[in-house]
Amino acid sequence: QQPTFHNVLVPANPYLTTEIPPWLHVYYKAAPEHDQRLKWELFRLPDLESFDAMLTRLFKQELEQIVMGYEHFRAALIWELERRKKNGQ
Amino acid sequence: SLTRPPEEVFDILEKLGEGSYGSVYKALHKESGQVLAIKQVPVDTDLQEIIKEISIMQQCDSPHIVKYYGSYFKNTDLWIVMEYCGAGSVSDIMRLRNKTLVESEIATILWYTLKGLEYLHERRKIHRDIKAGNILLNTEGHAKLADFGVAGQLTDTMAKRNTVIGTPYWMAPEVIQEIGYDCVADIWSLGITALEMAEGKPPYGDIHPMRAIFMIPTKPPPSFRDPDKWSPEFIDFVSKCLVKNPEHRVSAKELLGHEFISNCHANSVLEQMLQEAREIQEEHLMSRDKEAEVFAIGNKLRINFEDEEDEGSGTMIKSKDEQGTLISKLNEESVNTLVDSELGTMIINESDDDEESSTMKMDGGVADEYKPAYLAHFENQDRQKRLQEQNRANGEASGAAGPAALQNMSYEELQERMKQLDPEMEREIEDLHNRYQAKRQPILDAIDAKKKRMQNF
Ligand SMILES: Nc1ncnc2c1ncn2[C@@H]1O[C@H](COP(=O)(O)OP(=O)(O)OP(=O)(O)O)[C@@H](O)[C@H]1O
Ligand SMILES: [Mg+2]
Repeated sequence: QQPTFHNVLVPANPYLTTEIPPWLHVYYKAAPEHDQRLKWELFRLPDLESFDAMLTRLFKQELEQIVMGYEHFRAALIWELERRKKNGQ
Repeated sequence: SLTRPPEEVFDILEKLGEGSYGSVYKALHKESGQVLAIKQVPVDTDLQEIIKEISIMQQCDSPHIVKYYGSYFKNTDLWIVMEYCGAGSVSDIMRLRNKTLVESEIATILWYTLKGLEYLHERRKIHRDIKAGNILLNTEGHAKLADFGVAGQLTDTMAKRNTVIGTPYWMAPEVIQEIGYDCVADIWSLGITALEMAEGKPPYGDIHPMRAIFMIPTKPPPSFRDPDKWSPEFIDFVSKCLVKNPEHRVSAKELLGHEFISNCHANSVLEQMLQEAREIQEEHLMSRDKEAEVFAIGNKLRINFEDEEDEGSGTMIKSKDEQGTLISKLNEESVNTLVDSELGTMIINESDDDEESSTMKMDGGVADEYKPAYLAHFENQDRQKRLQEQNRANGEASGAAGPAALQNMSYEELQERMKQLDPEMEREIEDLHNRYQAKRQPILDAIDAKKKRMQNF
């Protein structure tokens, strides 16, 4: 693992390590019907910005899961195709 | 003069090209008769930041950086007025000639690029978008850096508008990982650009960008496909740029002293290349002129040349044996490293004494006992869905997925599955992205509303 770089022009994403509140997790995952019940305007601006960054993190996590899932399957496919080739198909 | 409507100040001549943020036109400054380039970028709100950025760009005064003259608003478009570089970008030239560059051409272009980077980095400015498409050449064969600075700001705005996920192929690992970065991020991109000029596309250029995002930080630095074709000096230059740890990467200044660069020839080595590109361009224009004439009757003011060329990079050289390349790239070992990493969401432990909470924060490493029941429920749903998808992917309506299922498929079926893999993944990513966007929008709206209210005070 690489270290985070602090003394740089563009600092590390500060939300990489902040804990995501469970309710935000639920909001992200839940069906959209109830979304409009949340009154976002009641939050302070910095909170809103951090929620947004956290949603992005959840999105990226899920994105990684998808890509890696396909990566597994791709590897299995390649392996099987190679095996057939070796066996002279 | 910035208050006058831009269409009174400029005559838009023809379309030069299109990028991810907007289109670029050749234009005539009516008053002076000077030829300029104008980039038209659609933007909605929150423009203050972009304006700030543009004023920084205007302060740059170097022969190695495309000069920015100013910007205008026209309805919902931002017009960025800049120096016109008649020979287009290095990637345009490659596409026109359908040819990659030779070492002497690459060395000369890299020299100019490094001079531009040296200028920026001395002033603690990061370009952020170095690639062949952003190195422009004027008709004398001087290469200049374009699009400096706008990249970062516009990416943010675009992320909000949510039309593009930036292309990752040139991005340094530390940029992708969001762990903080510095000027040397440009040096990594320069190394990728050198490979792009030599091979026609950046490493991983033919794989899906979302896969590339996860490969760049996890895999060893990329290098030449066929090292035998290149001089040891060139190979060494690229390997000095493509050092994964930014703290061990060299600066633009140091690279200017590298033997591959310091021995480079004057810009006359580019003459033939530019001449050829110009001739091909003129041929294109001639065949287009007829269409344009017809078009001009209906629309006297503006002539739009729609680009018929393949857009984007890396489309020039189509790999003939895509599967073959994939296989050679993805041996079993590399697949494992890829799968083992927690990249992209990588969390770095900043203190050792905080082990418990850092495990909690670890993506995927979240211990079950910390998980409230409803979250476990969602995750279980996800797992089920994954499993179903995998079964579907394996061509099985039910039953266990895995190698066994693959064994029962014919060779042709396997190949077909392989072909469908990326399109399927793309669809799934698109779905995910849409869901994310829908969840995010209300927060963005609230942010916008708050900011607007603050501005009114
Ligand atoms: N100052 C200029 N002079 C001449 N041609 C230009 C100029 N700026 C851009 N172009 C042309 O317009 C094309 C599109 O430029 P643009 O910057 O919009 O996209 P890009 O560089 O391909 O990608 P990106 O959007 O990531 O920067 C370039 O490839 C080049 O051909
Ligand atoms: Mg550009």
